[in-house]
Amino acid sequence: MRGRYVSRTLASVLLRRQPQPSGAGAAAAANSPFPGAALRHFSDRQKGQEQPKAFDPALLEFLVCPLSKKPLRYEASTNELINEELGIAYPIIDGIPNMIPQAARMIDRKAQDDEPKQT
Amino acid sequence: MAASIGAVTSRALHSRRHHRKLLSVGRGLFSGARRLVAEGETHFGFQNVSETEKGEKVYHVFESVAKKYDIMNDSMSLGIHRLWKDILLHQMNPYPGTQLLDVAGGTGDIAFRFINYVRSQWEHQIKQKLKSHQNLSWEEIFKSYQEEELKLPGGSQVVVCDINKEMLKVGKQKAQHLGYSEGLSWVVGNAEELPFNDNKFDVYTIAFGIRNVTHIDQALQEAYRVLKPGGRFLCLEFSQVNNPLISRLYDLYSFQVIPVLGEIIAGDWKSYQYLVESIRRFPAQDEFKAMVEDAGFLKVEYRNLTSGIVAIHSGFKL
Repeated sequence: MRGRYVSRTLASVLLRRQPQPSGAGAAAAANSPFPGAALRHFSDRQKGQEQPKAFDPALLEFLVCPLSKKPLRYEASTNELINEELGIAYPIIDGIPNMIPQAARMIDRKAQDDEPKQT
Repeated sequence: MAASIGAVTSRALHSRRHHRKLLSVGRGLFSGARRLVAEGETHFGFQNVSETEKGEKVYHVFESVAKKYDIMNDSMSLGIHRLWKDILLHQMNPYPGTQLLDVAGGTGDIAFRFINYVRSQWEHQIKQKLKSHQNLSWEEIFKSYQEEELKLPGGSQVVVCDINKEMLKVGKQKAQHLGYSEGLSWVVGNAEELPFNDNKFDVYTIAFGIRNVTHIDQALQEAYRVLKPGGRFLCLEFSQVNNPLISRLYDLYSFQVIPVLGEIIAGDWKSYQYLVESIRRFPAQDEFKAMVEDAGFLKVEYRNLTSGIVAIHSGFKL
């Protein structure tokens, strides 16, 4: 049963991973202490520093917006967690997501007017 | 150098006079003092402040002490805080596969202990199986080769949540130094408004953090919400000493020695003054037990450590 749990979480992590620049990820993997961790860090973004400062997508399983308790979307380009419904984005600094409502910023509503709204 | 020592000792003398009065008044009106606070107001140590102010002030306290937090803990408690945290882990007794949420976990002490505990439990389990000549399933053998690199045994996970990103930064660096990488996540979040879904975690711990929360009842309700049914709430916090002799020694030590240590080691008198005052303002064991029960937890118990200087409150979501 434990084996199934491990494979299920691994599968969900792999499925959620978004396409990332693989060159940066490979370099991060080479620096990490455990060779097995190369699988994990492969598609994480590297910020040009020694330790991988990327956000671990596995956290998305746990994280929700503290205000509405709805799931969030990881936006790789701005490195933020976005709540579509409320139109707010939580920043991720040094790989640590900041889930304090005061730290979140409002997303520019104009850009979203063209997209079909999901409720 | 001499001038600064002079300044520190003169401040110490001044505070001794100030606090001898406060101590007698404080002890007398202890429970009453808390109710004298007006609506929308709360306490920050022995001061009365508005609730928004308390949050900010607490944030600044921990922002300034973050880098020296661990050193100060060791010097103030003479290293005993390590024992307290070890006892907390023993009481938790996590098995491999446990999902832990460590709130106000800042520098990660509880999280690292959890990881060590779960790893040693796993090894112990394997050894037991070998001893009793049970064959390990090939799943387990496969995992024992992989587990160290990829995940914690059994899929255990610990999420460290703290309102203060400086403390988390220190914690993350510590993790990298000590070599903890997998199964460990860091999140900046407010204990009163946790960014987690309902019924997610097996254990919720808050060690030396809940007295800094502005609305303790909200934090307890959030704790109840994010725990799975059957989940355990554990709170390690400073509490009231039951022995009068030890109480006097403890008060003396708290108000005379700790702020001075804070000034010498961390260069921050006020923060450690706040620390010892906030300990005095926190409800006693039974009162806090009632608060935990109000949040919905069952089978709430507490256990005094070091004559009540510290207490572990435990409750279950059933």
